[in-house]
Amino acid sequence: MPPDIRSFFGGKGSQAPGSSQEQKAPKDAAKERKPKGRGKRKVLSDSEDDLVVEPTKKSTPKKPPPKKQMKRDSPVGEVTTTSDYFASSGKSKPTRSTPMKPKAQPERNAAEEPKASSAKSTPKAKVILNSEHAINGTSSSRKKGKPNYAVVLDDEDSYFAPKVIKDDMDSGEDIFVSDYKTGRKGDVDAYESDDDEDEIIQPTRKTMKGAKGTSSKKQVESSDDGIGIQMKDIPRKDIPEYKEPKAGKATNGTKASKSRKRKSEELEDNDDEDEDDIAPASKKAKASKGKSPAKKATPKKKREEEPEARTQVDDILDKIPTVRAPTPPSRDGDKKFNYAAFNANRSEPAPSSSAADLPVGAENCLAGLTFVFTGVLDSLERTTGQELVKRLGGKVTAAPSKKTSFVVLGSDAGPKKLETIKQFGLKTINEHGLFELIRKLPANGGDSKAAEQYEAKKSKNRRRSKKAAEEMVKQERTEAKKAASTNAGSKPQSMGDIAGSATTDSRLWTVKYAPTATSMICGNKGQVEKIQSWLRAWPVNLKIKFKKPGKDGWGIFRAMCLHGPPGIGKTTAAHLAAKLEGYDVIESNASDTRSKKLVETGLRGVLDTTSLLGYFAGDGKKVEAEKKKIVLVMDEVDGMSAGDRGGVGALATVCRKTSIPIILICNDRRLPKMKPFDSVAFDLPFRRPTVDQIRQRIMTICFREKLKVPPNVINALIEGSHADIRQVINMLSTAKLDQDAMDFDGGKKMSKSWEKHVILKPWDIVSKILGGGMFAPSSTSMLNDKIELYFNDHEFSNLMLQENYLGTNPILSNTYTGKGKNLKILELVDNAAESISDGDLVDRMIHGSQQQWALMPTHAVFSFVRPASFVAGSQAGSQTRFTSWLGNNSKQNKLMRFIKEIQGHMRLRTSGDRHEIRQQYLPLLWYRLVKELQKEGKERIDDIIALMDSYYLTKEDWDAVLELGVGPMDIANIKIDTQAKSAFTRTYNQMTHPLPYMKASQVVAPTKKSKERPDLEEAIDESDSGVSSGEDQAVLDDDKPLDLKKDKYVAAPKKKKAAAGKKAGAKGKGKDRIKDERERMRRRARRMLSLRRGREGLRSEKDVATIFV
Amino acid sequence: MALLVDKYRPRSIEALTYHEDLSERLRSLAQSGDFPHLLVYGPSGAGKKTRIVTTLRELYGPGVEKIKIDSRVFQTTSNRKLEFNIVASVYHLEITPSDVGNFDRVVIQDLLKEVAQTQQVDQSARQRFKVVVINEADHLSRDAQAALRRTMEKYSPNLRLILLANSTANIIAPIRSRTLLVRVAAPTEVDICKVLSKVGKQEGWAEAEGLNKRIAKDSGRNLRRALLMFEAVHAQNEKVTDKTLIPPPDWEALIAQIADDIMAEHTPARILLVRAKLYDLLSHCIPPTTILKSLTFKLIPKIDDALKADVIKWSAFYEHRIRLGSKHIFHLEAFVAKFMRILESYLMGMDF
Repeated sequence: MPPDIRSFFGGKGSQAPGSSQEQKAPKDAAKERKPKGRGKRKVLSDSEDDLVVEPTKKSTPKKPPPKKQMKRDSPVGEVTTTSDYFASSGKSKPTRSTPMKPKAQPERNAAEEPKASSAKSTPKAKVILNSEHAINGTSSSRKKGKPNYAVVLDDEDSYFAPKVIKDDMDSGEDIFVSDYKTGRKGDVDAYESDDDEDEIIQPTRKTMKGAKGTSSKKQVESSDDGIGIQMKDIPRKDIPEYKEPKAGKATNGTKASKSRKRKSEELEDNDDEDEDDIAPASKKAKASKGKSPAKKATPKKKREEEPEARTQVDDILDKIPTVRAPTPPSRDGDKKFNYAAFNANRSEPAPSSSAADLPVGAENCLAGLTFVFTGVLDSLERTTGQELVKRLGGKVTAAPSKKTSFVVLGSDAGPKKLETIKQFGLKTINEHGLFELIRKLPANGGDSKAAEQYEAKKSKNRRRSKKAAEEMVKQERTEAKKAASTNAGSKPQSMGDIAGSATTDSRLWTVKYAPTATSMICGNKGQVEKIQSWLRAWPVNLKIKFKKPGKDGWGIFRAMCLHGPPGIGKTTAAHLAAKLEGYDVIESNASDTRSKKLVETGLRGVLDTTSLLGYFAGDGKKVEAEKKKIVLVMDEVDGMSAGDRGGVGALATVCRKTSIPIILICNDRRLPKMKPFDSVAFDLPFRRPTVDQIRQRIMTICFREKLKVPPNVINALIEGSHADIRQVINMLSTAKLDQDAMDFDGGKKMSKSWEKHVILKPWDIVSKILGGGMFAPSSTSMLNDKIELYFNDHEFSNLMLQENYLGTNPILSNTYTGKGKNLKILELVDNAAESISDGDLVDRMIHGSQQQWALMPTHAVFSFVRPASFVAGSQAGSQTRFTSWLGNNSKQNKLMRFIKEIQGHMRLRTSGDRHEIRQQYLPLLWYRLVKELQKEGKERIDDIIALMDSYYLTKEDWDAVLELGVGPMDIANIKIDTQAKSAFTRTYNQMTHPLPYMKASQVVAPTKKSKERPDLEEAIDESDSGVSSGEDQAVLDDDKPLDLKKDKYVAAPKKKKAAAGKKAGAKGKGKDRIKDERERMRRRARRMLSLRRGREGLRSEKDVATIFV
Repeated sequence: MALLVDKYRPRSIEALTYHEDLSERLRSLAQSGDFPHLLVYGPSGAGKKTRIVTTLRELYGPGVEKIKIDSRVFQTTSNRKLEFNIVASVYHLEITPSDVGNFDRVVIQDLLKEVAQTQQVDQSARQRFKVVVINEADHLSRDAQAALRRTMEKYSPNLRLILLANSTANIIAPIRSRTLLVRVAAPTEVDICKVLSKVGKQEGWAEAEGLNKRIAKDSGRNLRRALLMFEAVHAQNEKVTDKTLIPPPDWEALIAQIADDIMAEHTPARILLVRAKLYDLLSHCIPPTTILKSLTFKLIPKIDDALKADVIKWSAFYEHRIRLGSKHIFHLEAFVAKFMRILESYLMGMDF
């Protein structure tokens, strides 16, 4: 098949665009669902790629052989990429595929006829076509324009190129396959055997790039791809009919999909971070190759896998009993899918409560497999299951994707997940299947492809960390040598010291392994670079007085504020950046007192000086002139506490005019006390590094310390510490003390005991307790665990539960159907509501007059755990709402205030209390005051005002009446003509209105009060024992003995009487006296104020101020 | 031009229309010169306050009608300042301690002592003592009632108390034993009709006897309510006949709507919907017990006889809880859930 080969080589250039286009299509048109793994993962080729891309491979003859595997009838084993995943998560729109079909078909035909003919023109046309449906068409066509791009070995700048190359290769394979299909079938096996090599060899494709000859074949292939996709979009059932008549087409389709898959696999391999993602490979291997198109049509669920070379493991995998996944609900039309209705339609067996014992599998037996847990498992708690899988080397992801090997399905699986399962035809098993898997699989995943790849990756990682460790050692050595040589002259024996210190290093690991180069920093690399460039530009910016913001905007800041959670290397980054930029670091942290005064005086000496290191150096060392620059690192700025009064403000002032760069470091930038830095420091957030970013570094350290820790344990440690690098290193250092290796359980235990207690937010609390997991028969959580959950936020958890308990689909009702189910749900809801009601009684005992705080756990049970125990279940279809009780309560308080106000005004005329006013007067008042204004407009204004005056109602009361209506009188239903309303307001304001009394807060009472209070307090302060004891006596004569606290209180009546007398007098004689009094009051207040200021601070100042206004 | 209910309020004992024997007794009490502490109780809208005011007038003469509102500020032991309104004339003052909630004890102690310790200055006054009228006495906290009891005896030369309450149930026994209990029963429907037609005549409105009867019935023998309804009907209709619809108060209309909602569907989703409406009522200052009571009575006619006893039982159960608890919505919702469950299982023929 020489022509084929030629075309294979030639078509590369043109092909690539097409496929890359396709890769992107899913992303761009995110809404569209791609059943097939259309989207390719874009791999940013890391340094790892270098390893893979060895030039030697270029010429490998094997490459050309295409991949076989036509048969994968179902999308099952496909590799999902993130883009793909997202694309599929959107609503599926099959419409997309229809337009494509006509297009693709003609092309295919064209392509099939002449193999090596007029290739070039076709490709172009094809691309254009593609561009119609893929938004990325432009980019792809660009690519086509210059086929040379393939040359790419420098992975850094072209992240696109490698991908493209791979695509080329794939399409090449496809061609072969198609040829093969149409022509000779016997060769299949040979091709297949080559598959594995192919995966590694992607880079070789480079060579092909050179060949520019474009072949029509390629074109064909790409168009085939399109077809394949279309086919996938078609509902499953249709496939058989569709394929059988046109076998050729079908094959093409499959091939295309296959190739696509292949591509992504390869990509994955390159993706070094994606250590565990090897599952798809195994699947691929399993995928049957020699099947006829007709077979393809077999139902998805029973995905048959017929690996060409069936391994023993594959047998095992196939033998695992699968369960049938429930049909996902159709989502035609309405997007909101009614979960309850859906559930009502299916009945599930009662959960068997017999807890299956966890099987003990061979070590790492699940290596390379990816699992997804969904729904509530009968006998296995989800977290337990996930842990089990992780412990045995498997990977657990949250959502199913093409790459998923198995879905462990329980009852109540989310509709979204079911849909994905159906879409990809994933294998679904239950926990028994999982156990069987674990029991049967040999250690390290046996001989399956997945395991092999897993192994390969592992060894690669091992190699890498070894290399890094070696480098580290080398570096240390050179440093030691350097130090030794400098010291050599003066202290010959220091060599010995160095040697000794190398063996027994007393430094903490965190210091020992602190990064010494940017390349060693885990995560936040960009941030470190920003610090560096900021420091570099600092002297320049100082000259231009910080006028130019620069492209990142830090040019106008003299200070920089790093913030982020603990243990992610903020301080390290600051020091490292300073060191790399040749700055001398002066550090100040929470161990130094940093009050306003000390900041001002202490920093004065620093801000305008240069470092001595720029002028002097130790004996024998060279003076480094550039070292005279200083950077001030203010660590733990948010630790400036009560002792550092005014320190933050002073520091902010310093930041405004400093002549050396200042780096501020804090954990929480949003604290109110960090506000002064808002405008003076450039904010640079540090984020938690991902597990992948840390893992390599940790592995290096482990290697150096000769501590054997498998990757999954490291993952667990990192996850357990929430990516706190420092803590992980500390844990390892502790572990090293008494052991040389750490296994999964040990690691789990350790990170558990080191766990930082995370306080859950109310939302998390309620979704955790209502989610059903805690009450599933398989759950191992105890009553105490649930009570514990309540105490995460004891004020909100019960309110949140009350708000959301009606939104679940209770597990306990799952065994019922139809009306019985509804009744059961009502029964459960009723029980829950009654329990919440019980809880409120307990709450009253706690917060009421009895203050029985010891009842808190009781409250937790009644108001939180017990209701949840009835209604716990899937919360699908209703989102967790915040409690509405608080809002309604404060609204009630506000309206109650209105009512009181109204009643206070009406009081001279009416006899009712405020409830009677609300329930009986208000409807009529509302009609007379509001409705008539609305109905008849301006004519009634006079009547309305007359009525208001007769009841001493004010304009505010009128507004309150408007707001107090409910139901038919709701304020939302009342639209008063703005003209009438403004006329009403105007008229009302023009007139004078009777007031039944002076408001206490306006004049008299407060004045009186404020005058008396100071005297009282002073008297008591001074004569605590003398005078007040006499008063106490008097009190004791009264009917009830009073406690000492009432000193003030006993004095109060006196004051009031006096005040009352005065008031009466004042009233009699007119306003003058009142005025005088107020004047005196004010003077007095001022005096008091100055007295108090020192003692009580701002609060009392404010109080006094309000009192005297 | 005030509303009818206030416009035609009787000002003297002679003008009182019903409970003639009670009026007579009050008059002789006032004239006897030996006026005891009174505990006047009866349902709202029965005329308690009106009778007290006329009695005071009988005691002191028309001077007692010159009232003003005083505003006082009290300070609690926790240094919280309470603003408190007092309606006062020269001879008496009228307070509503429940305005300040749990701090009513402070008010009672301070204010009563202050009044009790000052003698009547006005030599021309008919009585030596001042009268303090305490509204909503049944809402007084235990502490406040305890503070009252000794005061009542110790300062009796200068002070007489008149307690107004809806029922004596919440009044502690020591106070009940120190007062003369006066029960003002609700007026009968006939009484109400008489009042209505009298008022209507004075206003010059055409009389519709059937309508008046319906109002009297709907008002639940609450004269204030009857008068307000009477006025509302006339305000909203040009011409009033026996058939004229009586507009229900806003909150009752909403409760009726809730009852319909509950009957229409029995699902958790419906409870959620009802919860929103209950919140609406509560936040608009409708007392939870009132809500529960009217809701129950709106539901009762809609259900089968076999269920009624049970529903009433649960309604009472949750009303009790409302009194005991603090977050009323929980109990209202629990009642709704309970009702739905009972009704649903009855409809399905299952035992509940």
